[in-house]
Amino acid sequence: MKKITKELLQRIEGEATLELDWEDDKISYAKIKFLNFRGIEKILENRPFLDALAITPRVCGICNTSHIIAAINAIEDAYMSMGVDIKLSKKAKQIREFALNAEKIQNHIKWLYFSILPEILELNGEDDTNIKAFEGKDWIKAQKICSEILKAMAIFTGQWPHGSFCMIGGVTCDPTRGDIYEAMRYLENVIEFCEKEIFGVSIEEFLSFDSSVQLMGTTGSLQKTVGTMVEHNVSHIGKSYDRFISLGESSSKKRPKKCLVTRVINADISFVSESLKNSFFEEDGYTYSKSAMYKNKYFETGPIARMMIVKNPLIRDFHRKYKDSILTRVVARVSEVAHLLNKSKKILEKIKLSEPSCISPSIPYGSINATGIGRCEAARGSLLHKIEITRGMITSYDIITPTVWNLGNGSKEEPAIAQKALMGIEEICEADLVFKAFDVCAVCTTQ
Amino acid sequence: MKPDKRSTIVWLQGLTCNGNSHSFFNYPSIDIFSKSFSILHHPQIKTPFSIEEILASDKDIDFLVIEGALSRSDDILSRFDFSFEELLEKLSKKAKHIICAGSCASYGGIFRLQNEKKIFGALFNAKESGGFWKENSKVVNISGCPMHPRWFVETLLKLHFGDKLSLDEYKRPKEVYSYLVHHGCLRNEYFEWKVDCNDYGLREGCLFYEHGCQGPMTHANCNKILWNTVSSKTRVGSACLGCTEFDFPKKRLYETPKNMSLPATPYGISRRAYYSVTGVIKGFKIDRLEKRLYEEDN
Repeated sequence: MKKITKELLQRIEGEATLELDWEDDKISYAKIKFLNFRGIEKILENRPFLDALAITPRVCGICNTSHIIAAINAIEDAYMSMGVDIKLSKKAKQIREFALNAEKIQNHIKWLYFSILPEILELNGEDDTNIKAFEGKDWIKAQKICSEILKAMAIFTGQWPHGSFCMIGGVTCDPTRGDIYEAMRYLENVIEFCEKEIFGVSIEEFLSFDSSVQLMGTTGSLQKTVGTMVEHNVSHIGKSYDRFISLGESSSKKRPKKCLVTRVINADISFVSESLKNSFFEEDGYTYSKSAMYKNKYFETGPIARMMIVKNPLIRDFHRKYKDSILTRVVARVSEVAHLLNKSKKILEKIKLSEPSCISPSIPYGSINATGIGRCEAARGSLLHKIEITRGMITSYDIITPTVWNLGNGSKEEPAIAQKALMGIEEICEADLVFKAFDVCAVCTTQ
Repeated sequence: MKPDKRSTIVWLQGLTCNGNSHSFFNYPSIDIFSKSFSILHHPQIKTPFSIEEILASDKDIDFLVIEGALSRSDDILSRFDFSFEELLEKLSKKAKHIICAGSCASYGGIFRLQNEKKIFGALFNAKESGGFWKENSKVVNISGCPMHPRWFVETLLKLHFGDKLSLDEYKRPKEVYSYLVHHGCLRNEYFEWKVDCNDYGLREGCLFYEHGCQGPMTHANCNKILWNTVSSKTRVGSACLGCTEFDFPKKRLYETPKNMSLPATPYGISRRAYYSVTGVIKGFKIDRLEKRLYEEDN
């Protein structure tokens, strides 16, 4: 018996759909379709290259800071390829990292409280009014804490979304010590929320965990999520290739790395390729999203990839039991919040304000003829910007977002990451959950 | 007058980055907002009703919020089971007010640049009137890339409470858009005395002369109410990009276009007035303004 169902996912109304093929009551293939296209890469052409710092953040309202960082990295890489010395002060690097961390923290918390928890509680059959959007007690608490971490960030970036604070050679802001204390005050509020509501233990204690048993002994929303998934037997679903990649400059891993099951190896971005297969840019295409590969193979990117690559003991323990299932994906993403808070606090404690914010190179913009690649680890994974500059103007711009790695389309014989995770699932609601766990962002997927 | 029930909101997205949604989520008191409003549908958030259910219902809605640029072409903007054009027409007829959240919904914004004839805002195509609709008296524009959450919430509150809402020529609330970003900028003294910030990363100096700042000609109260309650672009040494105006994004956002080595004049100031004053002031060198405010010791 073979039936074909076309399912429209409510949460991402109108922007993405899953077309599911069923065989013997199991999903035999899934097509992931994105139907809207904005053409940002084309809009960037024939503009002065600095405009990329203002335009590329508008790819995505939730990961705009990551796009500025990738764009400035690409521009600085282009300068360096011309032999121009770009020296960033430690302070400038710390401010860029703090902003990126804050963006990831709010993104992970929104994902947990706005997307994952409402679904998890539904599995329990709970009609929990506390998580009701815009009104429920827990929803509001999470929303307030997201705006709190963004205040800490805006002290350096001016605003969020769509702040602009990066320039060639550093950052544009020039914070005072009082500003740092203010950022710390907001950060402390976020830490308090996460300890009380998400982890149920202090950040310090959570970071010392190396086994899933320790996590199960806590009482926060992370434990509740994991417990409910195990109880309802959805902890093992959503496995993909067990291949991970992290290309960005995150603080713990400077060089690109990949991880095959548990083995970590250096990666080389020259092996990254982008395919237009199945997209509207080619014949018989059905989506606007492209797909990204490394050495012609699909790799998963995101918090789970970062955690596997740094050999985080807690995530490695979940991985031993659940492989690259939805459960490991969820725990990796939420756990990363604790790491990010810890690192961000250290940045604020250590920052030296007497260092210069920006050391601008003196070469005129119009004399830049070069190409550059910018890497960055965004909330959902590796982000790449490639810029080609001729006499100071952009002649070509290419963006590969994390969701292009995870949510592209391959073929039935060689499905892409999310497609593979969906195949074999027996219930629509489970497919829905697995898909959401990748954090579907239509705007990032189709720039 | 206190209305006896909450106003209903349906949020619809065209070609967008979701930035206005996330800006709205920064509003410091969404719980208090929810005492006056009930969001029936938001595409990014689990809300009580689907778009299909809203369409099938015979109930009217108080606010239709549009985020993102619009188009009447199916190949540019589409939904799976019905056309976006049809969807927007139907919803707009059910709505008492239409709120364009952000510059894309107001004028077409950044995404309009992909196809300037077929992508536009609700009532405007950049500066020209006539966008998705030629006329529609229900529309209020809250321009900005993104809009500030307070601009949005306070406009909705006025309409909810039945207060009078005066709009400017671009259908924007005057209370917000009569201000310029320049108002409240901490670099105002440097602007007055024509002292440029010689480099990035300094809290001193003005960004208007060399670094493309459009604060003196951009309508918005950013430096009055601040972003995320704490800061603004100019406060962190970055140029105002003019994101509330119909021509956002201009080309060369980080360079000041010059006419005979002079920058454009601030909004509503004649060239004669501005250049005469500039000429006089340029003759003076103010030592205090050439120095750092103070040196950081640690």
